[in-house]
Amino acid sequence: MRRRPGIAGLQTAAAARDQYRLVGENVAKIRTDLMKEQLATFKSQLEEFAQKHKNDIRKNPIFRSQFHEMCAKVGVDPLASKVGFWAELLGIGDFYYELGVQIVEICLASRSHNGGLINLQELCSLLSLRRKAVREAISEDDCLRAISKLKVLGSGFEVISIGKKKLVRSVPTELNRDHNEILELAQGQGYVTAEEVEKRLSWSSGRAMDALETLLKEGLAMIDDGHSDGKRRYWFPCVASVFVTAGVD
Amino acid sequence: MQKLGDFRVPNFFNYPPYFTLQPIRETREKQVQLWKELILDYCRSQKVFIIGLEEEFPLFSNPAIQRSLSHESREVFLSALVSEGRAEWIDKNHRKCLVLWLRIQDWADHLINFVRENGLEDSVMTVEDIRSGIESRGTELAGIDRGVLIRALKLLEQKGKAAIFKGSSTDDEGVKFNV
Repeated sequence: MRRRPGIAGLQTAAAARDQYRLVGENVAKIRTDLMKEQLATFKSQLEEFAQKHKNDIRKNPIFRSQFHEMCAKVGVDPLASKVGFWAELLGIGDFYYELGVQIVEICLASRSHNGGLINLQELCSLLSLRRKAVREAISEDDCLRAISKLKVLGSGFEVISIGKKKLVRSVPTELNRDHNEILELAQGQGYVTAEEVEKRLSWSSGRAMDALETLLKEGLAMIDDGHSDGKRRYWFPCVASVFVTAGVD
Repeated sequence: MQKLGDFRVPNFFNYPPYFTLQPIRETREKQVQLWKELILDYCRSQKVFIIGLEEEFPLFSNPAIQRSLSHESREVFLSALVSEGRAEWIDKNHRKCLVLWLRIQDWADHLINFVRENGLEDSVMTVEDIRSGIESRGTELAGIDRGVLIRALKLLEQKGKAAIFKGSSTDDEGVKFNV
């Protein structure tokens, strides 16, 4: 716009600005309304969907995890608040809180055996065993979700990935890279020897012994001197699936 | 699931490190606890009273995983039972151990129940009758160790609930119950 001199020019400019503002506000309002409308539709659709598939969501772990995935994509967390309409609608909040409590119980009960590190698979099967009466299938996805909710408590529950396996940690032990590598190595047979660690990971014997001793002290490993070759084996109850339920009943 | 006779062994029996004494205190405590329970359960189900540390004993080795307990660990596990009053060393050298899966007091209670159920109040039985007579068949008392039985009877005698009579040979010690 060419700027014209004088009072008239200034007035015209101000009037034009007002006009622009009005139009702009209008457009924004229309947009917000549209958005609100869309959101309402979406919410009611989602509600309707959840209502319709309520039973599937509660009973079928695969469906449940897909539902969660869908919710995550649109930025809705059905677990975010207990008093939300989700909780009322599905009782889904309670479900995970209950799982969380049971997970804590299992971790505590098995701690003296595995040093506070438990295989996710094992945790899951122990959980299913304990919930036999409820007759609802539990998937690993459910476990992970329940554990993520436990973080709020600040009790140090954490899921760590070692090799192909996921382990759930319920003690504040810090595992460094060396420890993780040993645990990964142990996944094949359930145990390692110092010699294997040195060879496979190309470590000095001091480094291997140091890491093994720490794992032993933390209660994550058990020694076994009974093999006929006379080599000490370090077993890791948290990775060996041979051993399931002792101490958890 | 592996079995010893008709006894179901717990899972840890198949996990090799449980056959080596663990150096870390907490792990060791857990290990000792599991073994104590296993020994008591096994002895109770198989009616074993005396374990010889230097003899073959089904719990002391697991051929399936080629592991067996060292003499030291046998002694540690049994000593743990001894300290709880659930076992007694028979000799000073700790070579033989008497396992009390029922305490003497519990045995005495068993005896009283046995007497009541069979209407033996005020009647006389021999010690051998109690161990292997028809009445005790199928009860915990069948096959009870003679020494344990005598001690339980003496306990009852102290309480005035039984009187033991010496016979001419050891076989026919008699008991009169007065429940």
